[in-house]
Amino acid sequence: MSRIPRDIREVIREEPLMHRHILKAVAAGPRTVPEIAEAIGHPSEEALFWVMGMRRYGLLTESKEPTDEGFFTYAAVGGGVAR
Amino acid sequence: MDYDVLVVGAGIAGMESAIKLGDMGKKVLLVEKEGSVGGRVILLSKVFPTLDCASCITTPRMAASIHHDNITAQTYTDVQAIRRSPDGGFRVTVHRKARYVDEAACTGCQLCENACSVSVPDQFNYNLIARRAAYIPFPQAVPKKAVIEREGTSPCTDSCPAGIKAHGYVSLIRSGKYEEAFQLILEATPLVGTLGRACYAPCESECTRGDLEGTLPIRRLKRFVADRHYAEHDGPGIEAPAANGMSVAIVGSGPAGLTAAWQLARQGYRVKIFEADKEPGGFLRYALPTYRLPQDVVEQDIRNVTALGVEIATETPVRDPDALKLDGFDAVLLAMGTPLSTGMGVPGEELGGVMGGLDFLRDLRHGTLPDLGGKRVVIVGGGNVAMDAARTARRLGARETLVAYRRGREEMPAHKSEVDDAEAEGVAFQFLVAPVAVVGDAMGRVQGLRCQRMELGQPDASGRRRPQPVAGSEFVIPCDVVVAAIGMAPDTANLARLLTLEGRRVKVDAKTLQSEVPYIFAAGDVVMGPSDITQAVGQGRRAAHMIDRWLQGQEMSGFAALDDRLAVIDKAKVMARQTSFSHRDPVTLHLEHQQAPRDFQEIERTLSEEEALRGAGSCLDCGVCSECGQCVAACPPDAIHLEMHDQTYDVEVGAVVLATGFKLFDAALKTDYGFGRFPNVITATQMDRQLAPTRPFNTVLRPSDGRVPDRIAYVSCVGSRDKTMGNPLCSKICCMYTAKQNQLIMGALPLADVAVHYMDVRAAGKRYEEFYEQAKAMGANYIKGRVAKITEKDNGNLILRYEDIDNGGVITEAEYDLVVLAVGVQPSREAERLFPDETLTLDDFFFVGEADEDLSSGKTNLPGVFVAGAASGAKDIVDSILHAGSAVAQAAAHLEEAGAKKVTV
Ligand SMILES: Cc1cc2nc3c(=O)[nH]c(=O)nc-3n(C[C@H](O)[C@H](O)[C@H](O)COP(=O)(O)OP(=O)(O)OC[C@H]3O[C@@H](n4cnc5c(N)ncnc54)[C@H](O)[C@@H]3O)c2cc1C
Ligand code: SF4
Ligand code: SF4
Repeated sequence: MSRIPRDIREVIREEPLMHRHILKAVAAGPRTVPEIAEAIGHPSEEALFWVMGMRRYGLLTESKEPTDEGFFTYAAVGGGVAR
Repeated sequence: MDYDVLVVGAGIAGMESAIKLGDMGKKVLLVEKEGSVGGRVILLSKVFPTLDCASCITTPRMAASIHHDNITAQTYTDVQAIRRSPDGGFRVTVHRKARYVDEAACTGCQLCENACSVSVPDQFNYNLIARRAAYIPFPQAVPKKAVIEREGTSPCTDSCPAGIKAHGYVSLIRSGKYEEAFQLILEATPLVGTLGRACYAPCESECTRGDLEGTLPIRRLKRFVADRHYAEHDGPGIEAPAANGMSVAIVGSGPAGLTAAWQLARQGYRVKIFEADKEPGGFLRYALPTYRLPQDVVEQDIRNVTALGVEIATETPVRDPDALKLDGFDAVLLAMGTPLSTGMGVPGEELGGVMGGLDFLRDLRHGTLPDLGGKRVVIVGGGNVAMDAARTARRLGARETLVAYRRGREEMPAHKSEVDDAEAEGVAFQFLVAPVAVVGDAMGRVQGLRCQRMELGQPDASGRRRPQPVAGSEFVIPCDVVVAAIGMAPDTANLARLLTLEGRRVKVDAKTLQSEVPYIFAAGDVVMGPSDITQAVGQGRRAAHMIDRWLQGQEMSGFAALDDRLAVIDKAKVMARQTSFSHRDPVTLHLEHQQAPRDFQEIERTLSEEEALRGAGSCLDCGVCSECGQCVAACPPDAIHLEMHDQTYDVEVGAVVLATGFKLFDAALKTDYGFGRFPNVITATQMDRQLAPTRPFNTVLRPSDGRVPDRIAYVSCVGSRDKTMGNPLCSKICCMYTAKQNQLIMGALPLADVAVHYMDVRAAGKRYEEFYEQAKAMGANYIKGRVAKITEKDNGNLILRYEDIDNGGVITEAEYDLVVLAVGVQPSREAERLFPDETLTLDDFFFVGEADEDLSSGKTNLPGVFVAGAASGAKDIVDSILHAGSAVAQAAAHLEEAGAKKVTV
C-alpha cells in the first residue's frame, strides 16, 4: 500500500455521508469490508471506520463466523433503510 | 474551608485517594476533566498478573467515588489554578465545562448519540472508531450521563445575522436529513426559499473550508432543502399552536415583518400584518428582480406564515400605529423598511425619464415602467440596487446600459459577484464620475447626464477614500433614461408626533427594539437603514422575542439565538485537529450569462442531490457539535440544553492530591515504525481496547481491511529506554501488558501466531515472572533484538527488519498481518501549570517530583501538595493504589498538623 491514508478525523467525519452508500452495498446480502469498500469505491481501511461506526450505532450487524479467508460479513439491521 | 482535600484526576490513584480520605471522614472534592471517572484502567481489557477483568476491579471504585457521602465528584471539570491561602490552605479555581445535559434528568439512554449528525474519533477507543458529538464516554461510564462536545460556535453559524444554524443544516444534509434541515432553518425564519437564493451569504465568506480549496455552498444548500420541501409540501409542515389570547399588529410585510409574524404566531399570538402595497413581501416582492428571486418562491415562503393563521391585509397603509392599539392589539411592530428612493439633488431631476432606483424596480412589477426598448440608460450609483436596476434595464431591451459611479471599482458597495454578473450581461461601467445635472430637450425629455470627473482623496468615515471633483472636467453622457440608485430611506414623517426619529429611522433600544412608546417596537431597515435580508430577519426574530417577553411581563433579555452564542471557534484550532486535508473540489455553479439577456428567468439552478451531498460532505465540523438539534428532539426526558454555560468558581481546601496520571508516547514520532501511515501498525492501548468486552470491533481485526489477523507481532520499548526519543526510562508496564495481551489474543484467536520482538523482559513483581513464562508456554514467541524498521506490503502486511540476537545477530525480516507497538509512558505535564504562584518541582524526566521519594513517598516540594499514582512516574495498577495510600497518609498527617497548629495559635 503505497498510498498515505487520509487523516482519521476526516475519514470518520464522512461516516454519515457513507451510510446510504454502504446500506446500498449490503442491500443484496451481507458483505465483507473489502467487498463494501470496492462497492463504494473507497479504500478498505476507510470502509472499516464507517462499517464499525454503523455497527456501533445499530445500522449493521456482523455474521456469526468469519469466512475461510478470515473476514466477517456485515448486513443491515432491520432492512437498513437508507435516508 | 469548603473541603479538606482536593483530588485532581479520577483515575485509579485519584479514586483510591478520594475514597480512602472519605473513609477517614475527610471532605473531598474530586475533579476529573473527562465526562466519567475511571481514568485509563476502566478502558483496559484485563489486568496483569491476575487476568481479572478491568471493569470488575474498577467499577466498584467508580461508583464509590461518586456516591460516597464525603466525596463531591465533578466530572467534565478541570482545575484552573491552585493558590495558597493566608490560613495555610488553598484557594482553588474550578472550571466546570458545560455538558449541555441536565445530569439529573439524563437517563443514559443514548438516544441522543443515535440521533447526532456529527461523527468524530472516539478518544476512549484511542481513535479506532467513531463516536458522536453527543456521547456517553463509554458503556461503564460513571456518571452515565451524556456530554455534548462543543468547542465554540462554527464560523458559518456565528456570522449569520439571522441566527440561522448554518452548520446544523449542513450536517443534517450530510446525513440525508433534508426535511430536518429545512425545519431547522424554519426555526429562524419562514423565508427559506428566499434566503436560499437572495442571501448575500456572509457564512460563506467565513467558512473555514474557504482557507483550503473554497467555501461550502452553504446558501445553495439552503435552497436545495427548500426546493425539496416545496416540491412535496404547500406550507411549513407544522401545525399552528393553540391561541394564547393576545394579538400583535405588524406594519410591513418584508423579511422583518414576516419573520416576526412567524415567530409570534408559533407562540400562539394572533398576528395581523398591515401592508401598504398590493402584494405582501416588501422588497422581496417589489425590488429583488425575479431572475434572482422568482415570485413563486416568495409566495411559498409567505404561505408558511399564513398557514399558521397570520392575516395579511394588503393595500392597507398604516398612518397611526396608536390607532392599532385602540383597535385592541396588545403590541405593534413597525417593519416598514426603506421605501423611498433618495434623489441626486441636481438640476433637471424633475425631467421625464429620471427615476429613483427603487421606483424603477417597483414600477416594473406594477407594470407601469415606460418601454426601454432601444434606449440608452445611465444608472447612477455603485450599490446592489444599482446592479439590479442595470441588469433589469438590459433585460428590458435598453440599447446601452451604463453604470456611473463616483468612486472606483474597488470601493463599490455592491457585492463583487453582483458587479461581475452585471458586467457579464453587458453592463458598462464608468468610474470616478459624479452627476452635476440632467440635460433635457425642449420637450422636457432627458438628453444626457452632465457629469464631472472625480479623484479619490483621504478616507472618509466609512473608511473608503472620499471622491473629490476634478476642476474643469465636466462632460455629458448622452442618454434617454437616468436611474438614480444612490440611496433609500424610511417613510416615517407621520411618526414624528409619536416617536423619536434618527434622521428618518425609528429610534429604538438596540437590544430590545422597543421604542419609547412601550407597546411599539420596530425592526428591519426602518431601524437600521438599508441593510439586507438576513439582518432584517435577525431583527424580526429579536422583535418577536422581545414583544413576547414584554407581553408576558418577563425581563426583556434571553435572546439566545443572537445574544448568547458560544464564542466563535478559532479557525487555527480547527485546522490543527488534522495532520492533513485531502483536496475536495468546491461545488461551484458555472452560470451561463448572456451578453444581452431578454428574459427574467431565474439564472441559478438548484443543486443536484449529488452536489448537495458533496458540498455538505466538505464541512469540517468546526465547532464539533453543529447545533442541528436532533439530540434535543430525541431526548425523552428533555435533558439537553444547548444554552448551558461553563461555570468557574473558587473553593477553599486544606490539602491537594495530584493524581493527573501519565501520557502515552506518541507512536507516530517513531517514524521507522510507520504508525499513522500503515493501518495495521497499532498501539498496545488500541489492542487492549480490541480485547476488552466493550471493544470497538466485533473481535480483534486488522484495521486495513477488517480481517482476523493470523500473525501478530509486538514491538517492545517503543518510546521507552530510547534516548533518541528523549526517554531513557523503562516504562515498567509494557513487558507485562504485552504478556497479558499475548495470552488474551491466544484465547480470543486460538489459531493466531504471536511473536514479541524485545530487548529484554522486565518482570519484577509478585507473580510477574510466572506470568511472562505463562505467555511463552501458551505459544508466544519471544524474539530478542531491536526492530530497526517496518515496511508495508501492498496487501497491508508488514515486514519487520530486526537484529536476531539469539541467532548470532543476523539481520532478519519477518512478515506479519498486524503489528502492535508496546508504547511507553510519559509525563502528562498537567500538574505543574496548576500553580501560578509557586513552582511545583518536577524530576529529571518531568514527572511530578517527590521531595524525598525513598522515605516520604507522595510528598511534593510544596507543603500540603501531594502526588498519587503515575503522575510521579510509570506505575502499574497495584503500585498506583499503593502510592495513593501513601499520598493519603501524607495528606491526612498534613491536615492533622495544620489543625493542631491552629488550635495552638
Ligand atoms: C433591489 C434590491 C435588491 C436587494 N437584494 C438583496 C439580496 O439579494 N440579498 C439581501 O440579503 N438583501 C437584499 N436587499 C436588501 C433587503 O431586501 C432588505 O434589507 C430587506 O428587505 C429589509 O427588510 P424589511 O422587512 O426591513 O423591509 P422591507 O422588505 O422593505 O419590507 C417593509 C414592508 O413594509 C411595508 N410598509 C411600509 N410602510 C408601511 C405602512 N405605513 N403601512 C403598512 N405597510 C408598510 C412595505 O410596503 C414593505 O412591504 C435588496 C434590496 C433592494 C432594494
Ligand atoms: S445538536 Fe446536533 S450535532 Fe450537536 S450534539 Fe446534538 S445532535 Fe449532535
Ligand atoms: S467548514 Fe462547515 S462548520 Fe466550518 S464554517 Fe464551513 S460550513 Fe461552517
